[in-house]
Amino acid sequence: MKSLGSMIRREMWYILFLVPGVLLFAFTVITPFLQGVRYSFTNWDGISRKLTYIGWDNYVNAFQDPVVLTVLGNTFKYAIILTIVVNVISVLLALLLDSYLPLRNLFRTIFFLPGIISVVLAGFIWSYNYSQGVPKLLSYFGLDVTSPLGNPDQALIGLIIVAVWQGVGTPMIIYLAGLQNIPAELMESARIDGAGPVRIFRSVTLPLLAPSVTINMLLVLTGALKVFDLVFVTTNGGPAFATEVIATFIYKNAFSSYKAGYGMALSMIFFVILVIVTIVQVSFFRKREVEV
Amino acid sequence: MNKKLGFGMSIALLTLLLSACGGNDKNAASSTTSAPESENPATESASAPTSEDSKPVTISFMHFKSDVTDGVAKIIEQFELENPNIKVDVQPVKYDDYDTLLKTKLASGDIVDVFTLNAGSTTKLYHNGGYLEDLTDQEFMKNFDPGVLAEQATDGRNYIMPLNAGPIAVFYNKKIFADLGLDIPTTYDALMESAQKIKDAGKTPFALGWKDGWTLGMWLSRDFPSNTVLVEKQVDFFDKLEKGEAKFADNPAAKTSISHALDLFRYGNKDQLGVDYNGAVDLFAREEAAMMYVGTWPLADIQKKNPELFDSGMGYFPYPFSNDPILNKLEFNPDASLAVNSKSENKAAAFKFLAFMSSKAGGDAWVENAKTLSYVKGASSDIAPAITELQPYFNDGRLYNSQVFITTTIDWNTQFTQYVQKVLFNKSSADDIIMDLDAWVAKNHK
Repeated sequence: MKSLGSMIRREMWYILFLVPGVLLFAFTVITPFLQGVRYSFTNWDGISRKLTYIGWDNYVNAFQDPVVLTVLGNTFKYAIILTIVVNVISVLLALLLDSYLPLRNLFRTIFFLPGIISVVLAGFIWSYNYSQGVPKLLSYFGLDVTSPLGNPDQALIGLIIVAVWQGVGTPMIIYLAGLQNIPAELMESARIDGAGPVRIFRSVTLPLLAPSVTINMLLVLTGALKVFDLVFVTTNGGPAFATEVIATFIYKNAFSSYKAGYGMALSMIFFVILVIVTIVQVSFFRKREVEV
Repeated sequence: MNKKLGFGMSIALLTLLLSACGGNDKNAASSTTSAPESENPATESASAPTSEDSKPVTISFMHFKSDVTDGVAKIIEQFELENPNIKVDVQPVKYDDYDTLLKTKLASGDIVDVFTLNAGSTTKLYHNGGYLEDLTDQEFMKNFDPGVLAEQATDGRNYIMPLNAGPIAVFYNKKIFADLGLDIPTTYDALMESAQKIKDAGKTPFALGWKDGWTLGMWLSRDFPSNTVLVEKQVDFFDKLEKGEAKFADNPAAKTSISHALDLFRYGNKDQLGVDYNGAVDLFAREEAAMMYVGTWPLADIQKKNPELFDSGMGYFPYPFSNDPILNKLEFNPDASLAVNSKSENKAAAFKFLAFMSSKAGGDAWVENAKTLSYVKGASSDIAPAITELQPYFNDGRLYNSQVFITTTIDWNTQFTQYVQKVLFNKSSADDIIMDLDAWVAKNHK
């Protein structure tokens, strides 16, 4: 008992510094989350002051809703393609910008810049590019193209292009930092042993870059699964549900269709899915990491 | 060296990133507060009548007529001049986001004194929530036609005050019609024949801004109920739909509307779902498209972009949803109505605000500044030259309001709109989406 008391006294300062953060987290994340759990068992319309508890009905509805499956499919398609493309491009950019390239600092800045623009602004810029800029430009070459965002077959690809353009900056910086942590001696000895650039990348660089790969895969994938702003400002889920993702679907149910209770239930299911994806992904990539 | 440089670079970029975030926040904050600041505070000191209610009051007024923010600001200015003790904090919100914002504000206990609402199911929802003050016995309600009040009543009582209204019809380019020798079509088939001739002449028949969901939704939520109730005579379809007793499959109007949508799509501009509402208005203003189905909202915009077209080059005719010219009356819909918050602490001032809006001066101010028609008795109707062409319809009372047919609170229209897009791109057949719609309704009816 005495030792516990002395431990608390010893750790007092640390605990004191933790308090504001914990309080903030409790009131802005935990409390709304618990309230959300409560609403998910009601058929609340978002306005009414009465709550009617309907048990698990919302959850049963969600599992029987065929649209939920389409929406989940769209979301994972978007997230997986985006994660792969962003990571491949940002590794390549990082490799390029890590070598002795003239003006490489300038290029690093240029590739990072799109990430600084707000997503909403980027969405507007690209909506305009797609519907006006690109078709006009290509019409000079005799090509007749229309906005991919207006066609259900291309809309998701159109969104992914915008997201890649915006998203490569931050992973690129993380990969650059990772590359610079790899000791030059390892590369040199590999070269002396007669390994070519591809072999060095595969056997030396990539394994040592694994911690950066883990964190980037995780950040991009979870970010992409939660996408809302980009979809909302460019296509708003259309045309013909082609770009409807979980976040916009929840929003529409909860706010536009006056089904706040159902929206909450969907959010809870989505939360569980996100947790599972994260755990699986982290444990998968952690196994592949190598210590320097 | 190299490592340090790269590290410094990334840190510099990260600080840039952070500072950019901070900057954005500041901008956002200042843009939201700038609206109330722009109100004219000079009126307060102008006169000081020392009566009992001379204590200055500020009421908040949230509205969704953000496309005419300047016009509304002018109307409010006029009100503040007449009521020096009442200041109005105006919050214009884009129509798409309006409901969400209003709902969030009310649910979180933030009291908006006066706000705009659409008559019908939304009003009923807010009334059920207990947020609306009963206006039925207020003196200023006498400035409106009893028929209009009855149309906007909820369970026999008036919780909203009718404000403005307007026709929704088809703007057309007189020059293109004259060049091709086309008459104003009075039946649906004639409309499509004209469209074919316009297309053959190398022009775009219809300007469609279907990238914005509401543009297609607006047309569908009028074509479909009109065909349901007036052509197919299924008068209680929407009542039954709400209770889960009616099916889209048993309503031939569903197929009619889907085929109409396909026609419009075929005769529309290129990239129908890539161009938004503003793009469509541009097409019409540049005289590239011959027709546009819309309310009177783009008039101010067209006047700015092509004054010649606005003054004499364009006309307006009722949208012929059927092949029976007798049925094809002019669609005339209420737009915004005003509601007073039942929790408001400044009800007296809020009622004065409504009284002003229902006076002839207020009605005329809306007509002049917001380019819409007013429900106030005796208010002027002089919006634009194109509208005068509709005068015979007003004179004979050949008007109807398809929105009163829709008595549902479930949002089938958004769903229908998305499903129709599937048919447009051959992703589904009309029969399939009608089945999907019925399945969706089965899950969502009350």
